[in-house]
Amino acid sequence: MKRVILTRLAWTLGILLGVSFVAFVLMRALPGDFAIAATGAQSVAPEVLEGIRRQLGLDRPLIEQYVIWLGKALTGDFGVSFVTRQPVAGTVFDRFIVTFQLALIAAIMSIVMGSITGLASARLRGATDWIVRMVNGVMLAVPNYIVATLIVLLVGLYFPQFAILGYTPFLSDPVGNIAGLLLPALALSLAVSVTVSENIRAAVLEVANQDFVMVARAKGLRRGAVLRDYLIRNALTPVVTATGLKVAALLGGSILVETIFAIPGMGQYLYESINSRDYPVIQAIILLTAAIVVLVNMLVDIAYARIDARVRL
Amino acid sequence: MLETEMSETVMSETGPLLRVRDLHAEIGDPRAPVHALRGVSFDILRGEAVGFVGESGSGKSVTARAVMRLAPEGAKVRLRGSVDFAGRDLLQLDESEMLDIRGRRIAMVFQDPMTSLNPVMTVGAQIDDIIRRHMNLSAREARARSVELLGLVGIQDPARRADDYPHQFSGGMRQRVLIAIAISCDPDLLIADEPTTALDVTVQAQILRLLLRLRDERGMSLMLITHDFGVVAGMVETVNVMYRGRIVETGRVDAVFAAPAHDYTRRLLAATPRLHRSGQAA
Amino acid sequence: MSDAARENVDIVAPAAKRRQFFLNGGHILLGLGGVMLAIVILTALFAPLIAPYDASATSPESLAPPSAAHWLGTDSIGRDVLSRMIVGGRTTLLITFSAVFLALVAGLILGLLSGYLGGLVDEIIMRALDIVFAFPVFLLALTVVAAIGPTIPNLILTIAIVYTPAMARVVRAPVLSVKQWDHVEAARSVGMSETRIVLRHVLPMVASPILVNTSLTLAQTIFTITALSFLGLGPPPPDPNWGGMVSESRQFMELAPMTVVGPAAAIVFATLTFIVLANGLRETLDVGN
Repeated sequence: MKRVILTRLAWTLGILLGVSFVAFVLMRALPGDFAIAATGAQSVAPEVLEGIRRQLGLDRPLIEQYVIWLGKALTGDFGVSFVTRQPVAGTVFDRFIVTFQLALIAAIMSIVMGSITGLASARLRGATDWIVRMVNGVMLAVPNYIVATLIVLLVGLYFPQFAILGYTPFLSDPVGNIAGLLLPALALSLAVSVTVSENIRAAVLEVANQDFVMVARAKGLRRGAVLRDYLIRNALTPVVTATGLKVAALLGGSILVETIFAIPGMGQYLYESINSRDYPVIQAIILLTAAIVVLVNMLVDIAYARIDARVRL
Repeated sequence: MLETEMSETVMSETGPLLRVRDLHAEIGDPRAPVHALRGVSFDILRGEAVGFVGESGSGKSVTARAVMRLAPEGAKVRLRGSVDFAGRDLLQLDESEMLDIRGRRIAMVFQDPMTSLNPVMTVGAQIDDIIRRHMNLSAREARARSVELLGLVGIQDPARRADDYPHQFSGGMRQRVLIAIAISCDPDLLIADEPTTALDVTVQAQILRLLLRLRDERGMSLMLITHDFGVVAGMVETVNVMYRGRIVETGRVDAVFAAPAHDYTRRLLAATPRLHRSGQAA
Repeated sequence: MSDAARENVDIVAPAAKRRQFFLNGGHILLGLGGVMLAIVILTALFAPLIAPYDASATSPESLAPPSAAHWLGTDSIGRDVLSRMIVGGRTTLLITFSAVFLALVAGLILGLLSGYLGGLVDEIIMRALDIVFAFPVFLLALTVVAAIGPTIPNLILTIAIVYTPAMARVVRAPVLSVKQWDHVEAARSVGMSETRIVLRHVLPMVASPILVNTSLTLAQTIFTITALSFLGLGPPPPDPNWGGMVSESRQFMELAPMTVVGPAAAIVFATLTFIVLANGLRETLDVGN
C-alpha cells in the first residue's frame, strides 16, 4: 500500500510540473502583449513599456521567467491582478472555496442520483431498466448551461417570488448558502450522474453473474447483505474511477453554471478575467484547476487500490 | 399442521434425510422452455455419500441447485415435484424460510474456486458472515470459529491467513476455504458440485480426501456431483447416473462398476481414464 | 505472440455469433441515428430554402408569441426565431464538423505514431497527453479562444486542438494490440513497407473504435462550441448560431420562452443525434466501452 502511494505521488509531481509549464507558456505564447495588458491601457509609449518589461522580468529568457514564476507560485505568490492591483492568491482562494462547495454538492448529487438509478436499472431490469437508460441517453445530450438556463427560466416563470441568482456566504447563513447552491449543483450534476448511473448499472450486471454471488446466496445471506458486501462493493471500483475522472467536467462546467447563476466562484472569476485580460489571475486559476484534476486522479487511483486489494500499481 | 410435525419426527429418525420425488425443472421462456429435469427421484440417507455422474447438460447441477432452490442470476427456473428434506418439502417453503436452510442445513461447494470467493473481502470475513448469519455469535467468537475452520481444512497459520484476500491463495487453497465456508454451520447435507474439476490432478486427490474425512468426522451427508466416474469410485456408497434430465441407473457404487446395467453407464465407464481408478485405493 | 493471437480470437468469436441476428438494438439505434443525422444535415444544407424568413431581417413585432406566421415567435428585435434556428445550425455544424475532422486527422497521426512505433516516441507523446488531460477541455478552449479571438477559423483550430489528445488515445490502444497480430507480423516478414502495413492492415482494424469515438466527439464538440457562443465567444454576428441565440435571448426569456427553448432544443437534438449514432455504432461494430 505504501509503495502504491509513493509511486503515484512521484508520478503526480512530474505531471504537476508539466502542467505548471503549460499554464505558464500558454499565457506567454498567446498573442496580445503581456506588458500592455499589465498597464490596463490600450496603448503605451515604448519607453514606458520597456520599463514595465524590465520590472516584470519579461526581458529575460523564457525558462528563467518560468523558474522565477514557479518559485513564487510555490510560496503562494501568484503576482498582482492587473485589474484590482490586489494579490491574486487571496482572491482566487476565496473564489475557489465557493466553487469547491458547488462542485462538492454536485458530486454528492451525482453519486446519489446515479447510484439509485443505476442500481434500480440493473436489479429491477425490465421497464425500469428501459426507462432509466432512455432518460440517461437524453440527459447526456442536454448541456449543463442549457439545464441551468432552463431552470432559471422555469423558476422565473412559475415561482417568480424565489430569487435563485446570487450567492449567500456559508458563514453568514449556512442553510441559505446550501439551499442557494442546490439548483446550480443540479444543473452541474445531471450529466455526471448519467455517467455514474451507467457505470453502476454495467458493473452490477457484470458482478451479479460472478460465481461468488452464487456462493453468497448459497450461504443463506439475506438479500441486503449480498447486495452490500458482494454486489456493491465489487461494483464500486469502476464507479469510483468514473466519478473521479469527472472532476474535470465539474470544474469546466462550473464556469458556465456560475456565470448563469451569478455565483462568485472561480469559474465566473476566470470568465471575468478572460474578458479583462487579467493574465496573472487566468494563470493562477488554470494552474489551480489542473492541479486539482491531477490530485483527484491520484486519490482515485489510491482509493481504487484500497477498495480492490488486487491492484498493485 | 399436526401431520407435518408427525411426519417430520418420523422422517428425521427413520426415513432418509433427503427424499426427492418426480422432480421436474423447466428453464427459460415459458413458451419454449428447456426441460432440464424430467422426473428425478432419489434418496440420500443420513451420513450417506451419494454420487451423481453424467456428462455436462445431463441435469446433475440443476438437481443440486433445485435442492438449494438457487437459480443463476436472471434465469427463470420452474420446479415441480417434491424435495423432502428432514420432513419438510423445500419446494413449499417461502424464500425467507429457504434462507435459513441454505448454508445452515444444506451447504454447497462450487466448481471454480478461482471465481467463487469475493475478491474484495478477506477470506476470514467471508467465513465470518455465514457464521454470524446462522449462529448467534459475537464478531470475535465468529472469527475464532473461522480460524478454527481454516485450520481444520488444512490452511497453515490460519489466524494470520484469515486476514488475507483470496488472490493471495492458490486454487487448491481457495477450494479449502470454500469447503470451510460450506461446513462452517455444521450442515446436514453438503453438496459438492464438481469440486475438483478446476484443480490440478495432485490437488484433486487432496480435496477429495478432505471432503471424505469431513463427512466421516461430522456425520453429514454428501452429494457429490461429477462427470468423472473415477472421482466417485472411492468416495461414495451409492451412485446415480444421470442422462438427459433423468436418473438412468442407481445402485451401490461397486455393483454399478462391476455390472453396469444401462448402456449409457457402460459408455461413461469406458470413457473414464484408468488413472483415476487409483482413487479407489486412497 | 501466439498467446496474443489466441486472446484476440476469443474476443472476436462472441461478436461473430451475435451478428447473426438480423435486427438488434444496435441496428435500430443506428437507423434512428442515421435518420436524425439526415435531418440535421439536410436542414443545414438547405436552410435558406427551408427558413420561412430572412434570418437577419428585423421587424417591429419584437418578442411576439408563437403564431401561424411565426411558429416560434420573434426575438427582441423582431427576427423570426424558427428561421434563425434553422439557419443557425449551419455555422454551428460547420465548425463542429471541421474541428472534429482536424482532430481526427491529428489524433490518427499521433496515435498511430505512438502506438505503432512504441518506445521513446510513445512515452513522450503519452506523457505530453497526460499533461494536456489535466486541463478541463472547456477551460482550455475558453482561454485559447479568448486570447486568439473568436473567428470561425480560430474556433475550428482551438476545438481541434483540445480534442486531439482524446482521439490520439483512442487510436493508440487498439494499435498496440493489432500490431502484434500474426497477419501484421506476416506482412512485415514478406517485406511490406511499414507505411503500407499501417494503411492496409492496422488502420482497418482500429476503424471501429475510432468511428464510435468520432461520433461521441461530435456530440461533445457541439457542447463546446455552443457553450463558447453562449459566453459570447462564438462566431461573430450577424449570422445566427444556436449557442449565441440562447445567450442573446436569456434577458427576455420570461417574456418569450420560445426564443430560448427553440435553439436549446436544436442543440439537444443535434447532440442526441451523435450520441444515438455512437451507441448504434458501438453495438453493431461490437466495440467495448
